[in-house]
Amino acid sequence: MTDLPAAEPHPPRALAHSTAPDRSLGVALLLVATGALWHALSLQVPFAADPLGPKAFPGVVAMVLGLAALALLLRPGLGWEAGGPPWKGLACIAAMVAYAFLLIPLGFILATALLCLVIARAFAGNWAQSLLAAAVTAPALFLLMDTLLDLPLPRGPLGF
Amino acid sequence: MLDAFSQLAGGFAVALTPLNLLLALCGSFAGTAIGALPGLGPLNAIALLLPLVFALKLPPESALILLAAVYYGSGYGGRIAAILLNMPGEPAAVLTTLDGHPMAKAGRGSAALAISGIGSFVGATLSVVLMTFLSVPLSRAAVGFSPADYVALIAFALSLLGAVAAGNAAKTWAAASLGLLLSMIGIDGGTGIERFTFGSLELLGGIDFTVLAIGLFAISEILLLLESPVTAAASHLGRGARLRLSEIRRCGPTMLRSTGIGFVIGVLPGAGASIAAALSYSTEKRMQGRDGTFGRGDIRGVAAPETADNAAQIGNMVPMLALGIPGSGTTAVLLGALLMYNITPGPLLFEQRPEVAWGLIASMYIGNVMLLVLNLPLVGLFARLLMVPAWALYPLVIGISFAGVYVVSNSAADLLLAVGFGVVGWLFRKLDVPLVPIILGFVLGRLLEDNLRRALSLSDGDPMVLLASPVSIGLWVMTVLAVLWPLLPGLRRGPAPSA
Repeated sequence: MTDLPAAEPHPPRALAHSTAPDRSLGVALLLVATGALWHALSLQVPFAADPLGPKAFPGVVAMVLGLAALALLLRPGLGWEAGGPPWKGLACIAAMVAYAFLLIPLGFILATALLCLVIARAFAGNWAQSLLAAAVTAPALFLLMDTLLDLPLPRGPLGF
Repeated sequence: MLDAFSQLAGGFAVALTPLNLLLALCGSFAGTAIGALPGLGPLNAIALLLPLVFALKLPPESALILLAAVYYGSGYGGRIAAILLNMPGEPAAVLTTLDGHPMAKAGRGSAALAISGIGSFVGATLSVVLMTFLSVPLSRAAVGFSPADYVALIAFALSLLGAVAAGNAAKTWAAASLGLLLSMIGIDGGTGIERFTFGSLELLGGIDFTVLAIGLFAISEILLLLESPVTAAASHLGRGARLRLSEIRRCGPTMLRSTGIGFVIGVLPGAGASIAAALSYSTEKRMQGRDGTFGRGDIRGVAAPETADNAAQIGNMVPMLALGIPGSGTTAVLLGALLMYNITPGPLLFEQRPEVAWGLIASMYIGNVMLLVLNLPLVGLFARLLMVPAWALYPLVIGISFAGVYVVSNSAADLLLAVGFGVVGWLFRKLDVPLVPIILGFVLGRLLEDNLRRALSLSDGDPMVLLASPVSIGLWVMTVLAVLWPLLPGLRRGPAPSA
């Protein structure tokens, strides 16, 4: 199987020549593992109902995670898919977080249109294209889900 | 044998109802379209549809028929971009580009598309036939499994992930552990106490499966696509001389061999369609490629990976249905869907819910015929989907994702959770941490703990019960081998250069 072409879903990657990303990942995973282990051991059961109890399984899994994190720290790879400037991704994440807070007060159509506008701009649409995407996508989804399929979506102060 | 035929007839009675026929058709069409669209694979397709299926309260067999049709339909759609644009939409389609794109450039694009459609049909349909006769014997063998045997089986399935993973084994194990930990969030079914809820009411009931699937796959995919926008070029490559009957005949043996390879690889847990496609391609190249035509537009080089890909997709469903153990990310999502209906796939599924198991299998015969009929004449229509601009497509995907999360949970907090999983998935993809083990761990976590609990209750807490039966011992030995497997080359060669 040595002559197999590597199966990569994305275009060839530019690897940063640094083990720092993998080391950071290892530290983060180690913190999660420690936290999970600490939480598992702190669980108190009022009476011994079953022989396994609630601690053993999360405890063992947390230890496996900790071992994997240590292995990663000892032998980090060079894994980081270098992309373009990160501002587009950060803007989209910010828009999605804002969406979670705006959905109920603004209603589905308005909130979704705003989100779609940001996403379309991030995917290199010009203002006219992005406004078109926002103005079509949000009402179309509302019609499909709420009106046609009868799955209630939040309505804003204007009734839609 | 006869039993299988009568059961299958019952399945056709379920699959041929108007609703289920319509759902199979919609699923086939949507699957092909989503498979063809740049950047969206079967996992995203199913994750996006999952909330709709639940919110619409479809009966379980209908939901499964729809989701499965999207799943195997996407195997038909993935080839279009691979052949016309040299752009594989999913890992398994990489092999299709090797000969498919040269064929398209040489003016045989239409023939390449046709043979890949036929190969997909042959691979999928023959595999459904194998599935029809193998599922029940396999599930019968597992009826006698004790809870301890199940613990060993699930541990084995999880350990195989690390053994067959392409990248860093430590990252694979970390991902599976994270999935297992996520499955424990909420009230523990065995003891009734809260675990990992951080005092949050929203987390008491555990993490909703659709929230995890949409966040981890759909949202992270969009964030990743932002960095490498896919630009579609002309699709005039899909024209040219039509496929000749002699060419189909020439691919016959290739398609049969690739079906065998694909199905076997698919049934093995952990090994997915991309391994099947790669193995079948290299087998054909070794057997028939002495004249050096492979890689330059040999039609058999298109038929082999496409046939094996679809055969493996179907093969993947066998352990999911018969044992309740999913072998891939997509079948893990299908299993998660069944669990949401309180249906536990496994040995008893075929006896207790024959309409679900056999209805699904029967619908797969029908769905593949539909896909062949849809795909041969309409391939131009699907190819035109490649031209949908990113600014129109991805806002729609995000809109569907969030609307879907909302209709399932009716909670804005779950939207935040989905965004959080999306960000983690995005970072993990950039760090080469595989996401499939997370979803497998999440789905298998509760089954693993429940069976462990049951086994220890039966033995009054004696852990030796886990090694009491020959089946358990055999599975544990294989588990240990699978865990040690990725360590071996490293021990021989010293520190690895890079993952």
